[in-house]
Amino acid sequence: MTLPNAHFDETEPGPSPSVLLVDDDEVNLLLTSLALRERGFTITEADSGEKALALLSDWSPDIVVLDALMPGLDGFTTCRRLRQLPGFENVPVLMLTGLEDDASIARAYQAGATDFFVKATQWSLLAGRLRYLLRASRTRLELERSKAKLARAQDLARMGSFDWRPVDHFKSGRLEMSPEALRVFGIPPDGTLTLGAMLRMVHVDERRAVLRLLADVREHGSVLATDLPVVLSDSRQRILHIEAEPEFNELGQHIGFTGIVQDVTDRRTAEDKIRHLANFDALTGLPNRRQLIWRTERALEHARRLGHQCALLLIDLDRFKVINDTLGHAAGDEMLTEVAARLRACVRHSDQVLEGSLESAGSRTHRSLEAVGRLGGDEFVALLPEVSDDRDAERVSQRILDTMREPIFVGGQECFVTASVGIAVFPRDGSSVVDLMRNADVAMYSVKATGRNASAVYSPQLAGRGREKLELESALHKAIERNELVLHYQPKIDVRSARMVGAEALMRWQRGDTLVAPGDFIPLAEESGLIVPMSEWALREAARQAKVWQLSFGFADSIAVNLPNRLFERTDLVEHIHESVSTYGVPHRAIQLEITETGLMKDLQDVIPSLHRLNEIGVEISIDDFGTGYSSLAYLTTLPISELKIDRSFVRDLGITPQSSAVVTAIIALARSLGLRVIAEGVENLRQMEVLHRLGCGVMQGFLFSRPIPPDDIETWLQQTVLPRKAPWIGQAGALERGGDATRAAGGRPY
Amino acid sequence: MSEDPCASPAGTAGVLDAVALAKLRQLDPEGRAGILVRVLRTYEASLQKLMTQFSAAREAGELDGLRHVAHTLRSSSASVGALVLSATCAEVEAAIREGRTDGLDPALDALANESARAAAAVRAMLGSQGSAA
Repeated sequence: MTLPNAHFDETEPGPSPSVLLVDDDEVNLLLTSLALRERGFTITEADSGEKALALLSDWSPDIVVLDALMPGLDGFTTCRRLRQLPGFENVPVLMLTGLEDDASIARAYQAGATDFFVKATQWSLLAGRLRYLLRASRTRLELERSKAKLARAQDLARMGSFDWRPVDHFKSGRLEMSPEALRVFGIPPDGTLTLGAMLRMVHVDERRAVLRLLADVREHGSVLATDLPVVLSDSRQRILHIEAEPEFNELGQHIGFTGIVQDVTDRRTAEDKIRHLANFDALTGLPNRRQLIWRTERALEHARRLGHQCALLLIDLDRFKVINDTLGHAAGDEMLTEVAARLRACVRHSDQVLEGSLESAGSRTHRSLEAVGRLGGDEFVALLPEVSDDRDAERVSQRILDTMREPIFVGGQECFVTASVGIAVFPRDGSSVVDLMRNADVAMYSVKATGRNASAVYSPQLAGRGREKLELESALHKAIERNELVLHYQPKIDVRSARMVGAEALMRWQRGDTLVAPGDFIPLAEESGLIVPMSEWALREAARQAKVWQLSFGFADSIAVNLPNRLFERTDLVEHIHESVSTYGVPHRAIQLEITETGLMKDLQDVIPSLHRLNEIGVEISIDDFGTGYSSLAYLTTLPISELKIDRSFVRDLGITPQSSAVVTAIIALARSLGLRVIAEGVENLRQMEVLHRLGCGVMQGFLFSRPIPPDDIETWLQQTVLPRKAPWIGQAGALERGGDATRAAGGRPY
Repeated sequence: MSEDPCASPAGTAGVLDAVALAKLRQLDPEGRAGILVRVLRTYEASLQKLMTQFSAAREAGELDGLRHVAHTLRSSSASVGALVLSATCAEVEAAIREGRTDGLDPALDALANESARAAAAVRAMLGSQGSAA
């Protein structure tokens, strides 16, 4: 029976508290339960201790009210048994005793009762007491939960709290640790840890410093915060962070410390890892640019103080890009790793130096700065913190060049890599890291320009070529690695059939947002030798483009690539072309080479063997700028060439000066008699086209047809201009066709 | 509408305390739950049972039994307003607890007499309340 909760205390929300009421006196049981029900409690009655315990075996009330004196199990025994039931350790138990029965009150507490209450008919007081006990129990429960949460959180954070009460300046005093703190020290929860035992966990070298610190904070009552490297009893090495605040009593006297201890090993490991990542190159494990600059700065400080010299070697791999491009980046990375390992072995490389760790050591510690580092890409630096003269540095660079001689096995094949080394020596070649780096760079480029695979010491003469030029050269060097070079294409047109019969590849440099014209960098590239890797790149790229066009519109003609004569002198040119076309699966004739008349005649004897071999494999040679040089006509008849290209200067003057048409006529006649094709370049208007055609030259290129344009635009140009036969020159060409002297039939492929 | 539960039958006024009865009635102000009757019946049954135990214990000279009866009767008698009986019980309980067992008989007699009076008063009251049960 439950009465409506008319009098239920509104400050106690939630369901009505459940009460187990135990009394052998039926009258009292009835009355008490009536009174409590009326006050909002849910009552379960039991008229003996035995019945009460039976009920509790599968049910737990919010609170138990026990009559102290009962036949059979009395209240005290019942309470004692109840406390032993699992889960009933903290259930509030109110013991009802007789008035002035002091002995019972004491016994009630001993039996584990939460409180006692004198049996009476003052129900409001009883209800009030029950509410109070319930509230206290709830608060206690929350406290327990909160404590458990804190313990769990501390456990997860590998953290615990402690109190330290130093007795005086000489004794360590009392150290009290929470179970969580003990766990941090690897000690079971029921164990203990004295200050002495804790200090013994600290490495003997650091113990003195720790003792000093403890004495200091104790004396000044200051905040303690330190990281303690310890070895735990299971020999695990950990780093513990200890932080404690001084505690004062009500008189303001310093009585001790209260604080926390935390295992920060993981964090420290992570921090070390971060520091390592910030200072070392992830691929090769060598010091990175940042670390190298730092080391060099330190080395310069030492050199300045001790008055000795110091050398910086800039090491750049030759043609590394080719390896990256042909074997892939994974192979490139493999190679860099191997090169790094070899370079390391060339110096007394030391990994251990990091910021802050150098100061404490002795005067020769600058030796430990010696290292090889990776600046990025295929650029490495060797720092020699002390050299007696240039020869020291040159010996190391020779060791470096020698170590490269062994083939490197990457990507399933043996590769040969060489390096160019530039040397700058402090203080002669620069007094700062920046100066030394720049001058080592200058020296390194001088090696590149004179054929690579060597070293050079910086000299002011090298720098005399001018800062601007050097910078341009340096940028150009990187342009190759960064894929900043692009090829544009100008179509070659057979005007009689209005078809594209080939294209000339022309190099451009996409430097940032600007497209650098060839006139602004080709001469420098020639001078510095960069023209060689650039041309090699151009050959590969042209072969690739030929394949792309073949797939997209059936292109089957040649792409003409301009080559400087020095490239023809290279014995590996044929192999290189062969490799390029094979890589992309196009025939050799997909590449045509253009060499200027002047270039050809300059080193004719050296060039001829190459020309023959190229001719044999099907690569045609075209003489560029023909008519401007001094060709030996005798040679011309024997050279394995296929085409003469009439220089633009003659074309420009066609129809203006009679001389120009005389030269053009002569060239065409010469070509015809030698069985060579002839092509005119620089054709800008219909008049020039008409004259050339009339004189017997049907293949042309020039702005009239198209400027040099990116490869994708060639396709667009074909589709929008040539295919619909829209351009003015097509109508004109058609007229020429009808005019009669055309030898080829129109109507073939539209390019 | 039920009969007035506050009406006190003649002859019982001195036995059952009016204030205590009023307190009981407050548990069930409108008498709908018939609480007064339930309490009195429970008390009557309890009294009968306890006095049987009392006589047995007295004959056997079991002090513990006597003490238990006195203890239980003391508080339940107080609850229904049998204050004289309650006081007598308290006296007996205290005497036994404190070991003053010599000359306990007069107190035990008084307890028996008072219990008989209380029982009569309860019966009388229940008789007048019969229809409310």
